[in-house]
Amino acid sequence: MKVLARAQRVDQRTLLLCLLTALVAVSLVSLLIGAGNVSPSQVLSMLLGREDSEAYFVVWELRAPRTLIGIAVGMALGVSGALLQAVARNPLAEPGLLGVSAGAAFAVALALALGASAASLRISVAQLGALVGCLCVLGVAHWRGVGNDPIRLVLAGAAFSALLGALTSLMLLFDQRSADEVRFWVIGSLAGRRLEDLWAILPSMAFCTLLIVLIARPLSALALGERMATGLGHHPQLIRALVILCVALLVGAATAIAGPIIFVGLVVPFIARAFAGPDIRRTLWFCLPIGPLIILAADIISRVVVAPSELPLGVLTALCGAPVLIAAVRARRLPML
Amino acid sequence: MTLRWLKPDFRKHSAAALVSRAPSMGMSTEDDMAIKPPSGYWRWSEPSHKGRNILIERRAVWVNSGLVLALVLAVIAYLCLGSLTLDPRDVISALLGQGDMMTMFMVQELRLPRLMAACLTGGAFALAGILMQTLARNRLATPGIIGIDNGATAFAVASVVGMSVSLAPSAMALTGAVTAAVLTFGLAAGSGTQGYRFIVAGIGVGAVFGAITQLLLARVPIDTANAAYPWTVGSLNARSGGSVQLLAIGLVLGFVAALALARSLTILRFSEATASGLGVNTKLRRIQILLLSVVLTALAVAVAGPVGMVGLIGPEIARSLSTTRHVPIVAATLAGALVMVLADLAGRTLLAPIELPVGIVTAIIGGPWLLWILMRPQRSHA
Repeated sequence: MKVLARAQRVDQRTLLLCLLTALVAVSLVSLLIGAGNVSPSQVLSMLLGREDSEAYFVVWELRAPRTLIGIAVGMALGVSGALLQAVARNPLAEPGLLGVSAGAAFAVALALALGASAASLRISVAQLGALVGCLCVLGVAHWRGVGNDPIRLVLAGAAFSALLGALTSLMLLFDQRSADEVRFWVIGSLAGRRLEDLWAILPSMAFCTLLIVLIARPLSALALGERMATGLGHHPQLIRALVILCVALLVGAATAIAGPIIFVGLVVPFIARAFAGPDIRRTLWFCLPIGPLIILAADIISRVVVAPSELPLGVLTALCGAPVLIAAVRARRLPML
Repeated sequence: MTLRWLKPDFRKHSAAALVSRAPSMGMSTEDDMAIKPPSGYWRWSEPSHKGRNILIERRAVWVNSGLVLALVLAVIAYLCLGSLTLDPRDVISALLGQGDMMTMFMVQELRLPRLMAACLTGGAFALAGILMQTLARNRLATPGIIGIDNGATAFAVASVVGMSVSLAPSAMALTGAVTAAVLTFGLAAGSGTQGYRFIVAGIGVGAVFGAITQLLLARVPIDTANAAYPWTVGSLNARSGGSVQLLAIGLVLGFVAALALARSLTILRFSEATASGLGVNTKLRRIQILLLSVVLTALAVAVAGPVGMVGLIGPEIARSLSTTRHVPIVAATLAGALVMVLADLAGRTLLAPIELPVGIVTAIIGGPWLLWILMRPQRSHA
């Protein structure tokens, strides 16, 4: 038994390593391939040391920031999905479906309509909106016990998202200037983001990493039930509050940069659990490479499919994610967390 | 839904117009008149057919006439208010073909067609909604929520942006609605139409079609995308004459068909076994109801885009006003038209000169309502 467990563990490590390698490969592909007229071979020769100012500009000014932002957004969304599912004890809890992203988007649209424009302000506003959205849905779910039924929770989240979406469109109608600014952001895309945006979210992401390292152990104890966790010396309420804070910070940061991207927080933990089993800590480790992998792959596809124009990233993730949602719902027994 | 409470209710549960034979053929007419109708009903004896009585539910009569009155008032308000406020008397005379040219033009050319579109789409969405809710025995299962709206929208947008105008949006919307319905019902087949899994599967299908709509809009030049924009939120601005006429015909036929199905609908609210025991061919009826609901939704989407919340709000209003004895088809249709007219009126006037698409107004009203339904303690049936 012990040997088996160890073998599994080693197996998981190799798997994790494979995923990391795949991530590196996909990042490279993301640098090589694009909608512009700089060919992959041109980029490759530039990377190997040949002088080529055009390729240099395209790769380091356009594609590299995009790839880095994709990695950050993928990590944030994947990890926050896993955290939210653990704390809601619900395999369908997903930041996009539960209205967390919609809350962030609404807050940003509100801030823009009120006249704000600084990028850093946008991020904190989005995080605040995400926090409010998260608390609303989870609070409503806690009250009346809707949270016990995963599917009703999703419905409540969908209703909440629809409401916030309508309010966001309402605000955009008022203000043509912010409408132009927001229109492309609201679909969800990585195109045209600058490196400064990434620097702006790094502090909150670092803070979240620290927080997750601290609460991962108590969180996995919480999976045994509230009483057991209390018996083991943890404070369930505190853990929950910290996890929700984490989710809000991560989703708010990702949404502020890339717009509301739904279904990633559902798909990534879904795959990660298949590899890692029920342990939340291992699931989180697996989410780290899988999230960026999916975001980058979707982003590359979105660049290639309709070249020379681009597809919004949110469209692709919805196309991939909705079947996973349906599959999860169709399964006779939802895997309870 | 046990037999215990079914029994006393059984006598009177089936619809406003219950045709019943006189209890005993040998009795004289005077005796016949002496028999009192069940409480809450009026009895109307047909003079030509001796011994044939029709029971008319009083509550339904009051509710329906109240809704008609409210609709008439809303219609007059709709025709009067706007960027130029008109006097109600002028409006009525303009409707009758008198009055000055300007008022005639405003009322007959500008506001009346839009009003007709609002009434028809509202009625069609609400009728489709109540049919689907009864079919699925779930008050959340409206076509808008289970993705049929989105399917119709995606295909209609495809017809607007993809091919020129050769294919009518109505036909494409119908194709899309049928596709989405088949997908949702097919994917949820294992779990049955009851319960929330079915609805979440529908949300997934809706998300796919929503993404396809975005994809179609992203591929075309910005002008075409702007032309198709009203489709994505739901607005009465983008209507085309042909699809309104098609909707009018469809709604009249669908309404008659729904009335013909009223008895089966009432009985279908019970369990499958009870319904077949009471003599309803459940399979056939379900397919008929589903088809009717899908067609009505598609025709309405082809006019106004996805304003699916009306399909939730209209039946809710109708149900809260009516008794639970029967499915309030007429009241739901009237309430849907009323909601749509009021919502579009609010969208046109509240924030003038900005015009709110009617889909946004209904979403802002309907979202909290939907949440409230979800949060309420569960009842036994729709």
